[in-house]
Amino acid sequence: MLTDPRFALLRQLTAFGILLLVWEAAGRYGMINPLFVPSPSRIGAALYELFADGRIWPHLEATFTAALVGLALGIVAGIVLGVLAALIPPVAELLEPVMTLLNAIPRVVLAPLFVIWLGIELASKIALAFILVAVVIFFTVYGGIRQVDRKLVERIITLGGNRWDLVRHVYLPSVAAWVLGNLKVAVGFAFTGACVGEFVGASRGLGYLLSFAQSTYNSALMFALIFLIMVVVLLIFAAAGRLEKYLLRWQ
Amino acid sequence: MRVRDLSISYGKGEPVLEGASVEVGKGQFVSLVGPSGSGKSSLLRAVMGLQKPLAGTVDAEVKPAEVGMLFQDDALLPWKTARDNVALGLTFRGCSQKSAAVQADYWLDRLGLKGFENRYPRHLSGGQRKRVALAQVLAQMPKLLLMDEPFASLDAIVRARVIQDVASLVEEEGISVLLVTHDLEEAISLSDRVYLLSQGPRARITQQYDVPIPRPRDPVKARVHPAFPALYEKLWNDLSHEVAFDQRAEAAE
Repeated sequence: MLTDPRFALLRQLTAFGILLLVWEAAGRYGMINPLFVPSPSRIGAALYELFADGRIWPHLEATFTAALVGLALGIVAGIVLGVLAALIPPVAELLEPVMTLLNAIPRVVLAPLFVIWLGIELASKIALAFILVAVVIFFTVYGGIRQVDRKLVERIITLGGNRWDLVRHVYLPSVAAWVLGNLKVAVGFAFTGACVGEFVGASRGLGYLLSFAQSTYNSALMFALIFLIMVVVLLIFAAAGRLEKYLLRWQ
Repeated sequence: MRVRDLSISYGKGEPVLEGASVEVGKGQFVSLVGPSGSGKSSLLRAVMGLQKPLAGTVDAEVKPAEVGMLFQDDALLPWKTARDNVALGLTFRGCSQKSAAVQADYWLDRLGLKGFENRYPRHLSGGQRKRVALAQVLAQMPKLLLMDEPFASLDAIVRARVIQDVASLVEEEGISVLLVTHDLEEAISLSDRVYLLSQGPRARITQQYDVPIPRPRDPVKARVHPAFPALYEKLWNDLSHEVAFDQRAEAAE
């Protein structure tokens, strides 16, 4: 049972449980300062309060909306621009330097600029999530199409296919495989964009709550929110994994 | 199909192939053999229109839509099922999805793949994938079939079976074939004529051999025909001479 791969999850959960018990004991016996690291029971209580009085829902809604809208727009824009750049060299000449520049900088530095341009409501968070995702997807698609298997391209040509057939039957399915392969990274970026945007300036959202917890030194709330974000992202990862498994069943 | 004085070059270097002339009559099976780098595949790609020649002419005498090509790799779309892969070329030519699927099933059945229509290429063996690729090309009813070492990646038994299938199908359908191969036995047992190319660059067609084995022909039984050993020996000697000549030229340089 100690090495059997079938019991890996059980071993991981046991290890996590032991860690929580040691952490809780260390907090109760004064070995950890609760101002910096609250005990798991206090974090659990903070989490329970968030849901019990229902005040978490508008914040969750705001973060989810910003992240998912930014993710969807970023994926669409990344695919469209990536395909255009890969197939039309003059478009690549214009886009590649801009995208390389955006890729080279930590794009979250754009958050204050988006708040100035678009205000503290949802739009600035969507914009940040969008730009984080779009750049990643652009390079995935652009690089992927340029490395597409030449034999498949020649196969379509020898079967009598035209340029549109190539896009439809070779490039787009290849793009779907690459995008789905990077979907988890994109989801992570989308939530990073939404939360950082809310952290910089917002009236709602998990990032806003984190900023509030920081300014009031409420570390239990901060841990609770970090835990909540982790759970949410893991759930979306699981959904993305299922989608990937279904759509890439030919692999 | 007539190729006249064809020269092919990649970039600004010496031509890989120079002044090659090849002819494939209606319903004829013709092979090109030669050392590696003699431009065999390049000639085939030029006939298919995938490679622009430096000089010379290609007259396929059939419409581009009536030329099919079978590659060394099966080159099936991994995200499409066997049926969809076979149906693909038919839909390019205006066939409805439904009719293309019916024709695809017919060809898959004819090549012994009934029951495998919904499998993805990854879930098929090498021989099955090759049969799907063959069905994909034959479903288009080509009048000229170009084959670039299509059996090279198959193991001996599967290879023999696929070759038998190909030989009987092209005979039944009266398809003209131009085959590129390294395998002299394969070339002789399948072909009506074999062309020998010299070592590249500046490879040329040095010999051509008519194969006197009658049709209809089983490519496995053709290997025990009385004419086979003498022709094989001659072809082997000529090919060895080409390779040895090239090695001597290399050493002299």
